[in-house]
Amino acid sequence: MTQGGDGAHGAGDNGPVTPPPSGHPVEVRDLHVRFGEVEAVTGVDLVAEAGHATALLGRNGAGKSTTMRVLAGVVPPTSGSVSVAGHDVRRDPLAVKRAVGYCPDVGGLVPRATPWEHLQLSARLRRLDRTEPAWEQRARDLLERFELGDVAHRVTAGFSHGMGRRLSVVLAVLHQPVVLLLDEPFDGVDPIGVEATMAAIDDARARGACVLVSTHLRELAVEACSTVTVLRGGARVATASASDMAGEEGARAYRGLLD
Amino acid sequence: MPTAASWTSAPSGGLREARRAVADVGHLVRFRAATVRRRDSAGWFLLGFVVLTTAAAVVPAYTPGAGGDGRAFELLLLLPTAFAGFLGLAVVSAVASGGGRELLDRDPATVLPVSPTTDHLGALVLAPLNIAWLLQAWTLLGTAAYALGPSGLAAAQVVVLLWLATATAIAQVVAWTFEGVRRGHHGIAGVRLLTLGLLGLALGLQMADLLVSLLDRLPTRRLVLGMLGGFGWTWAATVAALLVVLLCAVALGAVPAHIAARRTPRDELRVESGRYAARRLPGSDLAALVRTDRGSVWRAVPMRRGIAVLAIGPGAVALLGGLPWETMTVLPGLVASGGALLFGVNAWCLDARGGLWRESLPVAPGTVFAARAWVLTEFLLVASAVTVLLAAVRAGVPSVAELTALTCTVVVVTVQVVAAGMRWSAQRPYAVDLRSARATPAPPLTMVGYSTRLAVSTTLTGLVFSGLARVPAWEVSVLVAVPFLCWSLARLVRAHVRWADPVDRARVVMTVAG
Repeated sequence: MTQGGDGAHGAGDNGPVTPPPSGHPVEVRDLHVRFGEVEAVTGVDLVAEAGHATALLGRNGAGKSTTMRVLAGVVPPTSGSVSVAGHDVRRDPLAVKRAVGYCPDVGGLVPRATPWEHLQLSARLRRLDRTEPAWEQRARDLLERFELGDVAHRVTAGFSHGMGRRLSVVLAVLHQPVVLLLDEPFDGVDPIGVEATMAAIDDARARGACVLVSTHLRELAVEACSTVTVLRGGARVATASASDMAGEEGARAYRGLLD
Repeated sequence: MPTAASWTSAPSGGLREARRAVADVGHLVRFRAATVRRRDSAGWFLLGFVVLTTAAAVVPAYTPGAGGDGRAFELLLLLPTAFAGFLGLAVVSAVASGGGRELLDRDPATVLPVSPTTDHLGALVLAPLNIAWLLQAWTLLGTAAYALGPSGLAAAQVVVLLWLATATAIAQVVAWTFEGVRRGHHGIAGVRLLTLGLLGLALGLQMADLLVSLLDRLPTRRLVLGMLGGFGWTWAATVAALLVVLLCAVALGAVPAHIAARRTPRDELRVESGRYAARRLPGSDLAALVRTDRGSVWRAVPMRRGIAVLAIGPGAVALLGGLPWETMTVLPGLVASGGALLFGVNAWCLDARGGLWRESLPVAPGTVFAARAWVLTEFLLVASAVTVLLAAVRAGVPSVAELTALTCTVVVVTVQVVAAGMRWSAQRPYAVDLRSARATPAPPLTMVGYSTRLAVSTTLTGLVFSGLARVPAWEVSVLVAVPFLCWSLARLVRAHVRWADPVDRARVVMTVAG
């Protein structure tokens, strides 16, 4: 387990689209994010590798979701450097958004659009119709795998929380992104949905994508990921292998990092 | 706030429940007041409200001609119709908003023991926080003051104020009843048929030249008679009767409110459970975004219901009143302002919790802004077009100058309203859920501020073009429209620049996503 700001890992595999110059699909240095008087992130350092899944663990308000939003190009960093798939999020947020698949922590769905309309919008804006003519079949397969096929043409306002989470994961993985960011993907999801999400993470890892999973659920994080990074008070406090965080021993270690 | 009664609690009677509901309204009002973001502005608003209301009730009585035999007497004769008009508008407003506004949004309210009686009383409290209600109220107070003059003014204004309260309470009873019916079997079709029937009846009466004589026999004449003699027996009887009706209406409103609360909102359910056939992939990024935004607007119950009322209401009144072309220029501003108040003043709230996902899509912020502004524009244009078409039915053939002035008004006020809406949307976003017919895109006091500013600017614009419609040279309207358009487009561009800033955009997106 590494503690404090020395969490640099060895160079991993390059992503399938744009090999980042540093070799790390995700590289965060001294990230600060401030909203008015509140500093949500106070100096996060993070490196994540291609072909691996990294979990972000921590209490509420630890800065996990804000870090994920910065990596998705949704929130600009106040200071620090953030590189995603070789692109600087501040200088080239559009390139970052093309490379990333993002499942936000809250909702993540337009209430009066259907799942299929969400998928069409994503496909259109990511040019999947030109680069990957079979995207519709993959979208249907994903909907079936996440048991959303029956509601593909109903608006999401009537969805349960779990259905919404599952669809958010489908939207994040549709275009087979170089960097997959899943923020609380297991929250309120039934076992079938958890299995489907685990399978989606495995698929992404297998094709060389860099996966980041933010969650409160340590056991699922350990199951899904090979590396765990713990955030506290907006900063990284430790990075460990998933096996170090597993079982009773891991639970105690994790509990110790939260206080 | 008290918590829900447990099963061990003693059974409570109706009076006890009513007291509890009144107390809960107090708790909710205090809660809402505590969440007001700009307390200084709210204080100024309340002060302005008191000053304007007092001024409207007193100043006209001391102007030349007040209480005389000329114009003042003519206004006195029109007062019963004005009283009835106020009731009509209050009914339409309350019915359109599915029983009036909510003191607490539906989702957070579900975890609290808020009874339908509390909801009903809360809607009554919020009813005056509506520019249409306020303008009509001030107009009634001012008209009464001018018609009667200083003599017996205080007595008369007591009657007017009581009527404002009573009419609002009656409107609430009607609105809850409509909502209860609408939520029943075949309720939506029934309400639509009833509305069409009432419109047809009004049109028939007008065509048969019976409308004026009907208005002359309205029961509201008795209110005016009660106002005339100052403090006396007739006045006392009128006040007593109004108080009785007011209390009965307030109490009675709770009954249909309970019935409506027990039933499922069918139109919302229909939207949420209906299937929407897949369409071909849009041809461009802009088309894709426009399609998504259109769905967010036209599949929302408050938007559909609101725009129908806004488009048909003023048009029907103009049709019944035989509004001439040169005066028709005030209508587009009214309709566009009302349309923007349905979602345009907080346009990014359409994405709600989907805002974060949408912001993660690879598309230029300018395209997103253009799509949202365009969808708002077409929404307002559709409503204005319906209103103008209805109003045009009995207005005869317009001159070229009249037609040009009206067209310029539609274009100018639409761009004006879109620019204001997009600016406010970026400045002050709110996380709101527009699923419910009772939802509004911003808190009540903010809505009053927005509606006042929109009403003032668009009405003044309409009046300018109303004057230009009388100028024979049609080119004048076009020339005057150019600076108006340039000004509004410049504001729209500024709103776009603000949206393009990633820090500002992130603030908006995170706020609307809740």
